[in-house]
Amino acid sequence: MDEFKQFRELFGTKIGQVIQKPRRLFFVVKEEHLLEIVKYLFDGIGCRLSTATAQETYHGLEILYHFSLDKAGIYFCPRIVISDKQNPKVLSITALVPGAVWIEREMFDLWGIEFVGHPRMEQLLTLNSPENPNQPLRFGRQA
Amino acid sequence: MGWYQRRLAKSLWVFHVSGSPCNNCDIEILDLLTPRYDVERFGIKLVGSVRHADVLLVTGVFNKKVAPRIRRIYEQAPKPIFVVAVGTCVSGGCCFKESYNTVPVREEVIPIDMYIPGCPPKPEAMIEAVAKLIGVLNG
Amino acid sequence: MTGNKIPVGPFHPLLEEAEYFELKVDGETVVDIDMEIGWMHRGHEYISEQKTFTQSIYLVERICGICSTSHPLACVHAIEDIDNIEIPLRARYIRTLVGELERVHSHLLWLGLAGHFIGYDTLWMWAWKYREPTLQMFEAISGNRNHYGMMRVGGVAKDVDPAIIPDLLKILDEIDRKMEMIAKAAKDDPVLKSRLVGVGVLKKEDAIAHCVVGPTARASGVAIDVRKDEPTDAYDLVNFNEIVLKNGDVYDKLVVRVLETIESNKIIRQCLEKLKTVGGPILNNVKEITPGEGIGRYEAPRGEVFHYIRSDGTNRPVRHKVRAPSYVNIPSFVASCKGIPVADVLITLAAVDPCYCCTERALRVVDAHDRPFELDLQRLSRTKTEQIRREIYGK
Repeated sequence: MDEFKQFRELFGTKIGQVIQKPRRLFFVVKEEHLLEIVKYLFDGIGCRLSTATAQETYHGLEILYHFSLDKAGIYFCPRIVISDKQNPKVLSITALVPGAVWIEREMFDLWGIEFVGHPRMEQLLTLNSPENPNQPLRFGRQA
Repeated sequence: MGWYQRRLAKSLWVFHVSGSPCNNCDIEILDLLTPRYDVERFGIKLVGSVRHADVLLVTGVFNKKVAPRIRRIYEQAPKPIFVVAVGTCVSGGCCFKESYNTVPVREEVIPIDMYIPGCPPKPEAMIEAVAKLIGVLNG
Repeated sequence: MTGNKIPVGPFHPLLEEAEYFELKVDGETVVDIDMEIGWMHRGHEYISEQKTFTQSIYLVERICGICSTSHPLACVHAIEDIDNIEIPLRARYIRTLVGELERVHSHLLWLGLAGHFIGYDTLWMWAWKYREPTLQMFEAISGNRNHYGMMRVGGVAKDVDPAIIPDLLKILDEIDRKMEMIAKAAKDDPVLKSRLVGVGVLKKEDAIAHCVVGPTARASGVAIDVRKDEPTDAYDLVNFNEIVLKNGDVYDKLVVRVLETIESNKIIRQCLEKLKTVGGPILNNVKEITPGEGIGRYEAPRGEVFHYIRSDGTNRPVRHKVRAPSYVNIPSFVASCKGIPVADVLITLAAVDPCYCCTERALRVVDAHDRPFELDLQRLSRTKTEQIRREIYGK
């Protein structure tokens, strides 16, 4: 895919492990390069943020963003790995992408990841619930 | 109270309570009002306030956030009130039993008088349930 | 929940007292809107980790009852994306047929509700009456009016018997005629036009910033449609138009949905004609899924449904992420609801077509000093329609 080739030439030094499939590009980025890459994807080539997936693995907490380039039907997926599992913190992208407000709140609610710079960091789905499930999708949950 | 129940059976007013359903059962309940099945010819009407209701139609597998509200609605309803559970979710929890956010036993939230299983139950099944309820009320 | 909440009057039989939206009003205009959700949260992503791939397909069907085949379609696309699995031709046509029938049924349902909210109860009864033949077609094809259970990894579960296709085409003709009538009524009615034109406008920049999808985006001029951008199943084998308008108000959203229903009828007709002659298997039996990640999406009636699945070689997904279209459409209310009169709030909120499982429908209204007061939005909405009708037709 030409868009993938162009992207890898521009940012080749700033991204880590890459998995390239016919229409999907998964790559690892460090937190300091995240905002620059998001700006290129959202404002530069006109991608749309579909959603962001959070997952706890044995290496740490992983956040996978999904940016869709609609005219070509392809997906760019930057991945961030947070190694501090006790106090996970990462920069918020809501200043660049206003549509990420609820997406980041959901990750805070269910995994406890704090987004630095988010306008309203509070629970989304379990707010005011009589029994707070307290980060139900982490490994150490009481289920 | 036999005479009261017989009068009641002639025109039941229904209030619908949704406790985290997937909304399929709710759409099938609304389907009963539309021209194909048309329960309004039996005098059954969907009302907007629980204070006017004779029957509570409950759907959904109750969520921990919504369970206190359902309890409050049940307490606000003027007695005698019949609670009819529509769908497999209320009857048995369907596939959501293992979740962290659903109540384990729905009968602890409100007492239920009648179950209509199905995912969703067809409108014909719901009309049969209504007919049974009217039969019970008529003695 | 304390005692100073005032239920603001039912505007739909499907609701109970509570507040889920909070409106700040100043006189007759809305100043701000805030939302609280979570009453439908059942923990699908948590339950999915304990189920196998095939069980997950049944589970996601029950996320929503209206778009009940969009989620299984996106889920199987995600699993097939991990290994690039091929789908047999006949299965592709059957998948597209079921998906498009669901779009027809969902848009007719929305049309009825929109009519109910502005006071056209006749439109409600007629739209739902002509939705029944669609449910009949579903029952003939899959055995159930909703929650069909038709999708499998690698194909579909049930075949369409060629003997019933002529009857299905006859029912489709009837739906076509009624859709033409409703389309003409919607386009020519002056009361509907002046009630809905210019109401609840979502501008194109706001639509792009909030990443909205579906008819909400297409009515504001953003041309995104998964069926054209990444055609899977049989969407590259049938002819249809993408409907994009530019004003972003409620009237445009209504016209987009009505025209899309007519386009869907065209697709259904082409699929049924092809199913008379195309032969072959309906399922490509997949024995195992290799470790990897896959993304699948589908154009549900409300927008793009997104599923992400990660597998590690066993028969269970390690992570299954679901994002319904209403999740990104609903936060755009803050952009489209500011500055509109209170009587229009109901129809603006309904025009986005929020899937009920993602939102509830009760409001708490506060004035400029944060004091709550009571407001019957349904009555306000219908009164405004009456006023407009009197102005147009004289009294």
